[in-house]
Amino acid sequence: MTSLKLLSVDSSDRGSQRCRLGPGLMTALGLSVGSPVLVSLPRGSCLCIAWPRPDLAEGFLQVDMKCCSPYFLRHPPSRLTLDPEQVTLVPCPKLKGMKISVVVQSVEFKRNNSPRFVHELVKDMLKASLREMLQLPLLYPGTLGSLGVSCPKGVLLVGPPGVGKTQLVRKVVGEVGASLVVVRGPEVNCFQTLSTVSPIYLWIWMFQVVRSRPGESEEMLRGVFTQACAVAEEGPCVLFLDELDSLFPRRSGSSAPENRLVAQLLTLMDGVDRSDRFLVIGATNRPDSLDPALRRPGRFDREQVIIGPPTLRQRAAILSVLCEKMPVCSSVDLTELAQRTTGYVGSDLSALCREAAMHAMRENGSGEQTVALKHFLVALKLVRPSCLRSSLGRTDLAPVAWEQIGGLDDIKLKLRQSIEWPLMYPEAFSRLGLCRPRGVLLYGPPGCAKTTLVRAAASASNCTFLSVSGADLYSPYVGDSEKALSQLFRQARACAPCVLFLDEIDSVIGSRCNGQAPSSVQTRLLSVLLNEMDGVGLKTLERRGTQKILQVEGAEENQTAEQMSSQEVCNKDVMVVAATNRPDCLDSALLRPGRLDHILYVPPPDQQARLAILKVCTKSMPVAPDVCLEELVAGTDLYSGADLENLCKEAALLALEENMEASSIKHVHFLQSLKKTKPSLTVQQIQ
Amino acid sequence: MSKSALLTIHQALRRSFHSLENNQKLWKSVLAECIPLMASLENLAEQSRALSNVQISNTPLKDFPEVEELLRFKLSQAMDTVLCKLHENMASLQSLRDSLTNQVSTVVQLYEQNTDTLDLVTVTERSATIPSVVDMLEWLQDAERHYRQQFVRRKTLLHALSSGNLNFLATATKKWKELDTPGAEDQITDTLCKVSFFVESS
Repeated sequence: MTSLKLLSVDSSDRGSQRCRLGPGLMTALGLSVGSPVLVSLPRGSCLCIAWPRPDLAEGFLQVDMKCCSPYFLRHPPSRLTLDPEQVTLVPCPKLKGMKISVVVQSVEFKRNNSPRFVHELVKDMLKASLREMLQLPLLYPGTLGSLGVSCPKGVLLVGPPGVGKTQLVRKVVGEVGASLVVVRGPEVNCFQTLSTVSPIYLWIWMFQVVRSRPGESEEMLRGVFTQACAVAEEGPCVLFLDELDSLFPRRSGSSAPENRLVAQLLTLMDGVDRSDRFLVIGATNRPDSLDPALRRPGRFDREQVIIGPPTLRQRAAILSVLCEKMPVCSSVDLTELAQRTTGYVGSDLSALCREAAMHAMRENGSGEQTVALKHFLVALKLVRPSCLRSSLGRTDLAPVAWEQIGGLDDIKLKLRQSIEWPLMYPEAFSRLGLCRPRGVLLYGPPGCAKTTLVRAAASASNCTFLSVSGADLYSPYVGDSEKALSQLFRQARACAPCVLFLDEIDSVIGSRCNGQAPSSVQTRLLSVLLNEMDGVGLKTLERRGTQKILQVEGAEENQTAEQMSSQEVCNKDVMVVAATNRPDCLDSALLRPGRLDHILYVPPPDQQARLAILKVCTKSMPVAPDVCLEELVAGTDLYSGADLENLCKEAALLALEENMEASSIKHVHFLQSLKKTKPSLTVQQIQ
Repeated sequence: MSKSALLTIHQALRRSFHSLENNQKLWKSVLAECIPLMASLENLAEQSRALSNVQISNTPLKDFPEVEELLRFKLSQAMDTVLCKLHENMASLQSLRDSLTNQVSTVVQLYEQNTDTLDLVTVTERSATIPSVVDMLEWLQDAERHYRQQFVRRKTLLHALSSGNLNFLATATKKWKELDTPGAEDQITDTLCKVSFFVESS
């Protein structure tokens, strides 16, 4: 059989999916008019229906490319000579189903139909500034040029992990309708994906820059910039460098491969000229480990757009977004949940919701699913704020109720005033112009429930509780302890409202007046503490949310919102609670108002308190009816709370000594144990 | 055997060409109805654009309360009425397209059922008065494809117009007329001429 000459398709046949053949060939191939055929061409194939040529001539082939391999869309084949075997009859099974996916490519359409789902974090000022940088050059390309201004080319996002830096970039990019080119760390491929993060489809080019062989990484990076330039031709484009610190660390003296990569980035960023309409965004959580050369105008111009951990209101908003898709029980109060999740960042909150949902699923099986508050509470125990994950002071304390502490009612009240009240009645505090006390010092003889009091206070309020001891801060290296303490304060501020407990503060923090060497560790720790408690101001790195000033006459806001905002303003600080037996050893600067405002003496228990303590201690013990606690109280002068507890234990042991099967503790045992134990307090101590 | 099959096909083809002819007339008349509607839509868009540009408070009309809102409401109501009529026209176009599609697919199906008895020589045989079966099928399919595409394009345009973008509405008539493809229409007329002897021969 003769070979076929491929001619271009007639204009009348365009879109008809016909393949014109000579009738002789059709008979030879066993084709009838309209039967489906597959035409195999070099670099692809094409599906058509067979149709005789109008002039019935043989030896020619015309193919309409309505259904063909993608390659032919751009390069229609022509002037080819084909073998007749390249045209084959396709079996034609019945259509069973069809899947259609619609991809909308028009930017105009995307902008007009932007979805309602907007992450709360994005609503902030930050979004506005990012958007402005993306859109300004697009809207007024001439103006910027005539002003002689080059529009900003780089933004550096700094913030703790999990607050949504990457999420933010994706969202804004999606809203503006820009393309996104993402650069990631060490893996091999360069690929394109269709993003599913936002409901808007968005092309993302992902690159993994770091390669093993020398020179390859730099080449890859150059490729990324070329790609971004090419994409920017079609519309606004963002080049996103995630985890900037790991890709481009501070250059060191040796000729490490990273040095060359940093140098390449610097060259490329300087090389981006004004006409290239793309923006470079870097994200990092360790801005200090970046190369300083990157952080100057001209490279990353908008330095440090900082995202801190979300504040109370932001948390509530994030939670409401997260819970939108979950079947949450109507009784769940998201405001309350937001109050309980101090220090949680966005990803922690999403983990929390996931955990709660999982728990609900485990409980209900496959039945109807609603996530109730109890599930969230269980999840709260499992998911811990990531701000505190590596913190020193993180403690897991057994909850203590106020009732478990006998006596000391006025001290309890004072503590509640300073810890619980600002959380519970923030609007009352702000109405009277009060602010939360900065610090409370508890002092008194040992064993009088100072630590227990703090534990009770911490478990009664929902704030974060950090406890630190000398051992946590000790370090053989000079300056390390101070750094640890200041780090601790930074973390505590991130999770505010927060209670920071310094037990035995006299041993951890020194004093400047009683003959210690002026440069000892204790003195330096003292200076850190003084500064952190009432210093000049916060570092810019720690700014959170937008600065809000409390307005008393904001009548339009509803009450819960007002309460939340006053709570935010009221409780943005860390409260320090310190305990000591030797208040005289403390530095006077520490004891002034503004640092440790309230100085509370926790006295040794008096008669009534001792009775209350004994009642609490014997609550869980089977006490014989003849036991007279009042008599014991009279005989236990100078006994501290701890002594009294020990007394009761001793009595119980004596009862067991007598008879292993003893069912109650008799008065005799108490008296015996009273004889055995000695009070730990002395008269001098009390004075 | 093959004779009777050929006759059946010919009958079906005749019927299809008849309906194609009717179809063409109706299609043209419906499109002609749309032109004035488009013009009035354009006019209304122009009016509401003018309303946005004018500051009512600077005109003698400022003493009337809510005059701008009322006017705007009136305009949008009028626009809705026009769009409603256009949509009705689209519905009649759709029914025309559907009937033609049904006709054509019936003929093609009939041919496919008889492919065993009708060999290629029979179906490609043409005379001075009767075109070949293959040619006639081809013309019918082309006409059907044309109407299908036309309908989708006009429907999409109308959908876009319904979004209420004033700038877009201002050029409605132009856009509507741009969709006309006189070449394809002529092709259909040509076809009808070519088959006129065949259609009348029965």
